[in-house]
Amino acid sequence: MATGFFTDTTLCIGCKACEVACKQWNELPSDGFEFTGNSYDNTSELSGTTWRHVAFVEQMSVDPEGGLHDRWLMSSDVCKHCTNAGCLEACPTGAIIRNEFGAVFIQPDVCNGCGYCVVSCPFGVVDLIEKFDPEGTHYNLASLSESRLDSKQTAVQQSGGVAGKCTLCYDRQKVGFVPACAKACPTESIQFGDLDELRARAKARVETLTERGVEATLYGADDVGGGIGSLNAFFLLTDRPETYNLPAQPVLPSTRQPAGYTAAAVAAVGLALAGWMIFRNA
Amino acid sequence: MPNLPPNPDDALMGAASRNGRTEAVVPTYYERPMLKAPHWEWNVVTYLFLGGVMGGLGLIQLLAHPERDDERRLKRTARYTAFILAAANPAILITHLGKPERFLNMMRIVKIKSPMSLGVWGLVFYSGAAGANVVRELAVDGVLPRWMRFVAPGFMAPAQALLGAFTAGYTGVLLSATANPFWGSGKRHIPAASVCSGLASASALASLLSTLEGNHAAVHKLERLEMVAGAAELLVLNDFKRASGEYGKPFFEGKRGERLRTYTVLAGTLAPMALNALGQMVKLPKPIDAVRTTVASVLTLVGGYILRDSLIEAGKASARDPKAAFRQPR
Repeated sequence: MATGFFTDTTLCIGCKACEVACKQWNELPSDGFEFTGNSYDNTSELSGTTWRHVAFVEQMSVDPEGGLHDRWLMSSDVCKHCTNAGCLEACPTGAIIRNEFGAVFIQPDVCNGCGYCVVSCPFGVVDLIEKFDPEGTHYNLASLSESRLDSKQTAVQQSGGVAGKCTLCYDRQKVGFVPACAKACPTESIQFGDLDELRARAKARVETLTERGVEATLYGADDVGGGIGSLNAFFLLTDRPETYNLPAQPVLPSTRQPAGYTAAAVAAVGLALAGWMIFRNA
Repeated sequence: MPNLPPNPDDALMGAASRNGRTEAVVPTYYERPMLKAPHWEWNVVTYLFLGGVMGGLGLIQLLAHPERDDERRLKRTARYTAFILAAANPAILITHLGKPERFLNMMRIVKIKSPMSLGVWGLVFYSGAAGANVVRELAVDGVLPRWMRFVAPGFMAPAQALLGAFTAGYTGVLLSATANPFWGSGKRHIPAASVCSGLASASALASLLSTLEGNHAAVHKLERLEMVAGAAELLVLNDFKRASGEYGKPFFEGKRGERLRTYTVLAGTLAPMALNALGQMVKLPKPIDAVRTTVASVLTLVGGYILRDSLIEAGKASARDPKAAFRQPR
């Protein structure tokens, strides 16, 4: 059974419980603390150690009649677990697999840190995790329990310098639990479940919102184009995808390979012929 | 995307009401990058560069005819050099991965859809072919027992050339088949330029070594090959500039563009072409001619390295541009 996330951004209140629950369950280190000045978003982006990220979009404008229009969009971003995943195709070690729940999963003990998945994700989700530093002050687990660090480091922490991203809580799903973020979400903005059911629910939600005069679209419930197919983690948006830092035209990188290999072959054959003439005539 | 609702943010940004008309402005998320930049440094640049050079040497060792004395010596030099580079490249990749064992993880699987996986296997097989051909050279030279030349039967020469073409070409596909907007915009140009640049650099390295050996007849042919490959590279880069448009700006414009024009185009291709043309037309005294070849070869090699470095650096800049990332080239 393929499972996934339906993130309904109209329900998000920006509490970041998903971010916290994800960090806690997956034992992910803190990213340090930095004020960005970008609304209430000091997380900024998904990374190797941040697998949920709540975006805050403040929209304020004044119309010609002097009326103030303001809107606050919040959206919890996550790995999309694409039907055709660029990272999975690019991974040279087979560390990135599709698991029995249809999710794209990185096996940290197999990953060799080449970083090719990082540049192959059309959504900019995957990133490398910095080498684990038990002495590091930025690592908040270190302050919780020192003994724990000696014996019970997670595979990610032990290896260091490997790629990291949302696992769709593979371990929780295995024992029948709901992923941590969905469990923690207080408004059901993050909904977890069977994909077919989620898609049906999402489409009904769009209809309801449209009736109420809200312009809502689904991102990734159906094919997003570019060869990627649908997304196992899809979103309900009320503005253009770019507003939420999502691509309007994502492309599956491997679709460019035939053109690339052909061009290289043409160049090689042409130069080989030229070389043959040069050496034969000499 | 047609019929998009106007973004209310536009009015606040002051971008929408120029000339009293509403312009469609692509919103960004606080102008933050959408994509992750490659974290590739000198080691990956060197890995790609050497992939091109060893690929080119694969062709040169095939072109050199064993029955002409100068080409016989060239064949040997090309094979030894190719093998050394093929042996060095995994070591360079390991400096990037951090631990030697991590290279072995690449050997777990063969994945047709991953240029990184195919490339590593290409490198492994290339090393095999290059190694067999080196054994043959050693056997022919009498260093090893003569019967050992059968380790590399005749078909090993074209095999090394074919694998070489792949090693040079995949270093381009490795970049162009990613989500990076600039790299993606060169889906044909980057692989073609990688092959051309690889052969130009290989010819330069072979002519440099042949000059040191005093094999001037081979240098003459190699420099013609280098000119052809260099000219092809310039044609590809010129067309790439036209075809890549906005996506190509981090590569062709600004500081990186200037560096590319100075080191790769002018000093790295046009200057050696002029020096090589001079060598073809005028018979210079031998010591001066050796200096001419050396300068031309070093310039070509530096230009080839700067080309790879510029590709990587422009990729980093392109990844930081959310507007390019929102609309990825097909």
